[in-house]
Amino acid sequence: MLQGLRDQLKELYQRWVNRRLPAASKIRLSNRRLFIFPTRAGFLFGCVLILLWLVATNFENNLVFGATFLLSAMFVVAIFHTFLNLSGLYVEAGRTPPCFCGGEAEFGILLSQKGRRYRDSISLYHRSSEAVVVSLPGTELAEVWLAVPAEKRGWFEPGRVTLETRYPLGLLRAWTYLDLKLCGLVYPRPIDAQGRLSSKAAGQGVDELPGGREDFRGLERYRQGEALGHIAWKHYAREQGLHTKHFSDPVDEEVWLDWDAFPGMDAEARLSRLCGWLLAISSGSALYGLRIPGTEIPPSRGEAHRTNVLRALALFDQAPRPQS
Amino acid sequence: MQPTWQTPRPALLWMLISVVTALALHAGHLPLWLLGAAALTVLWQIQVYRGAWQHPARFIKVLLTLLCFGGVLSSYGRLLGLEPMVALLVSGFLLKLLEIHHRRDALVLIYLAYFIVIIQCLFEQGIVTGFVVVFGVMIVTAALAGLYQNNQNTQNKQTNRSGKLGTWFRPFRSSAVIIVQSLPLMLVLFIVMPRIGALWAVPKEQGSGVVGVSDSMSPGDFSDLGGSSKVAFRVEFEGDIPAQSTLYWRGLVFSDFNGRRWSQSGSWGYQDGSLLQWYGEKPEPWDRQATRRGDALSYKVTLEATNSPWLFALATPKPTSQDVALTRDFRLFSKRPLSSKTQYRVNSWLDYDLETGGLSSWRRKIELALPEGFNPKTRAIAEQWRQESPDPVALLNRLLKLYNKEFIYTLKPPLLGKHTVDEFLWETKRGFCEFYASSFVFFARAAGIPARVVVGYQGGERHPSEDYLLVHQYDAHAWAEVWLEGRGWIRVDPTAAVAPERIEMSFADLFGENEDFLAESLLSLERYRHINWLNNLRLRLDALDYAWAKWVLGYENVQTDLLTGILGRLDPLRVGLFLLAAGALAMLPVAIMSLLGREKKYRDELDKFFIQFCQRMERAGIARRPGEGPRDFAARIESLRPDLADQVSSLTGLFEQQRYNTAVLNKRDLRLKLRRFRPYLRSKIP
Repeated sequence: MLQGLRDQLKELYQRWVNRRLPAASKIRLSNRRLFIFPTRAGFLFGCVLILLWLVATNFENNLVFGATFLLSAMFVVAIFHTFLNLSGLYVEAGRTPPCFCGGEAEFGILLSQKGRRYRDSISLYHRSSEAVVVSLPGTELAEVWLAVPAEKRGWFEPGRVTLETRYPLGLLRAWTYLDLKLCGLVYPRPIDAQGRLSSKAAGQGVDELPGGREDFRGLERYRQGEALGHIAWKHYAREQGLHTKHFSDPVDEEVWLDWDAFPGMDAEARLSRLCGWLLAISSGSALYGLRIPGTEIPPSRGEAHRTNVLRALALFDQAPRPQS
Repeated sequence: MQPTWQTPRPALLWMLISVVTALALHAGHLPLWLLGAAALTVLWQIQVYRGAWQHPARFIKVLLTLLCFGGVLSSYGRLLGLEPMVALLVSGFLLKLLEIHHRRDALVLIYLAYFIVIIQCLFEQGIVTGFVVVFGVMIVTAALAGLYQNNQNTQNKQTNRSGKLGTWFRPFRSSAVIIVQSLPLMLVLFIVMPRIGALWAVPKEQGSGVVGVSDSMSPGDFSDLGGSSKVAFRVEFEGDIPAQSTLYWRGLVFSDFNGRRWSQSGSWGYQDGSLLQWYGEKPEPWDRQATRRGDALSYKVTLEATNSPWLFALATPKPTSQDVALTRDFRLFSKRPLSSKTQYRVNSWLDYDLETGGLSSWRRKIELALPEGFNPKTRAIAEQWRQESPDPVALLNRLLKLYNKEFIYTLKPPLLGKHTVDEFLWETKRGFCEFYASSFVFFARAAGIPARVVVGYQGGERHPSEDYLLVHQYDAHAWAEVWLEGRGWIRVDPTAAVAPERIEMSFADLFGENEDFLAESLLSLERYRHINWLNNLRLRLDALDYAWAKWVLGYENVQTDLLTGILGRLDPLRVGLFLLAAGALAMLPVAIMSLLGREKKYRDELDKFFIQFCQRMERAGIARRPGEGPRDFAARIESLRPDLADQVSSLTGLFEQQRYNTAVLNKRDLRLKLRRFRPYLRSKIP
């Protein structure tokens, strides 16, 4: 029964949040949307204040009183600073490149402001992701990438994202829950099916497939939220800044990616193998087509074709894209 | 082991500065080894940060903790008491510095730093201390701000306005801004928040470095005070300041003499009625018998910390402040030892009669007691004089004449042996007030006249502009009181017989040119009082110091008057509303500053121009998508609204050319060009 009550309360709370913080793809943070409350550090600070007050009272020392009041006043001023660090900030959904199931969907989120306020240490996180910390050091725009694990194929809506700050003194936390209508496409989890396939897809690549894992292609400047596993730590240690390593795989040939090539498997397993096959083959010179129930894409090649095929795989038997 | 949290570099820097600041503030009363330990821990933490050393192992930390306890115990001989407690706190603080593994460790360190910096006010309360503590709080706050500052971002971005130095300095800047914005509210809280008295007794500072009259007197004590130019107390009279020669500030009465040392007699020797009559209590019988004539002299004394309960007042006083008592021998007494500056109000009647009705036999015994085996010569001569002139007044006058003829007043008297009075009266004949008081009282008692020594201060310096009296430690004085049949207790100052100018002038006026005077304080401004402008400076500083004492340190004494003056009447509702209103007023500048800073206008004409363009298109139903470049946007507009194509492409062309080409127009030309599009941007799109 208690469980039922808790669920009911949760539901009520969720409804209240939804009503109070309606979804939008671009949101201006105002006092209607922001919450503010002392942090644990803030409460500890309060204990220090009480202790100081006791010292001042018992020693009847007006200087200690003065210092206690100074710290109390600082707490009040910090409320303004923390609040203003978020207030007036615009948050909008940016691009979301598709990703593979089992990887991380990187949602681009743009923070912008009118004016040149120094906004520092704004952290964004999703309940299943690491926090990304970003600042607008007097600039108008900052872009962050929030990496959320993608666990299901199809359209992925991560839902509300928390945006919070404890700047400048950590005594208070101002936060809001943002529903930016984030939506990303998740391709099937690629499973390497090379062994079951004909020798058509042998690897003698001319072209290269970026986003692969085998051949080192080069370094690019780190973007907020990119997978940590690809960061070039050695370069970072040499104080050359954060970079990520990019890899590519060599591939070749032509083929039909056929649903029926994997008899006796369930849909997801087939899609995963088709996806793995596609990745292996798509960067070669081969022409390839897709044949799955309800969809047939004639053989072709190139980036656009590859995207089409992946998209068809991702959206097989899925509801249409949620309204945005 | 989980990945250790790395202190942000600026935070670490400011934490170390905080530690150094806190230690520097307390350096005066911390044992030397603790300062050494501080230097070591700071070095250790730096080395840990650089990766050169490891965090100390657990057993080392335990060992260090025990060492600190032992060290404090051996330095102070106790763990209770303010100073050892602060030393312990500082030790804990330093040990904490060695184990910062998480943000919360850093927080604990920083909060401790706040506490330690502020605790300094229990030891010193000068104006300078006040400002230094605010500065210390600012530094500690910088450390706190450093913890929540995002450094990664500012290091990578080229848009960063300030350089690498800025990253280090930024926490301090935020801290300074916050502190400055907090000051008005602090002032409001300071003025309005009620002070309730001490909730429980606390260990006060042990009298180190406090000078003042002590509770006993032996030869040479006062010459130490003569070398001190510290202020003992300040007095604000309601009317005019009385003549210098009447200003005898009674502090203690000594009736007990052991041959060398004068002190108060056991439980002050009185046995009739309560010894203390607190302010507001019904007068004791002994008080009712005292006669006070004429108008009362009302004044307020601000006494520096003395760590003893003795208060100073002119004879014969009646206290008019809480927690001050009148003693059986008509002095004032405070409920608590004065660990900090204290103010009290007194009414004094300079014309009085005390115990005119006669002394009881036990009182006579006390006031005539002399130790056996000391000063035989003086006793013999006194006995001889009494036989020659039985009138006590004549006898005492004869003694005073002797002083006047043969004695010399000096601050550097020869040392005295066992029979102090004998040697002084009949051999050396050189000394200062306590020698005269001591020998006079001894002689009087030997001649059968009840007498006692009184110590306190004599005279004082008028502040020329501020209208109050400054009494310094060098004004410390000892004199005698003798009891005469029918006249009661009468003040006799034998020093006046030797050096009447000592009483007529202030002590400093008399000895100002003498090199012995203040020989120990070469740097004291007091020493240079004959240089006019330096003297003015000294007096100005003292007026400032006095204002500080009155309005800040002793604020609870003026709070009620001040608030009643503002509010008319004091009740919780009024005070609460006043606090709210004044608090809101104090926060107003902060609010205005933040609102002004929020939406500043764009300075870049070109950006403004492009944003206007986008806004216009949005009104027309074509919003620029996030991340869409100007050229893509233009292409999309052209495909959706071919009728707008011409304007849009020329406009986008201008924008792109100005934004991305190196050949940029100068500001004026750009403005002219942009202006041409203005009517277009303002017009409605059908």
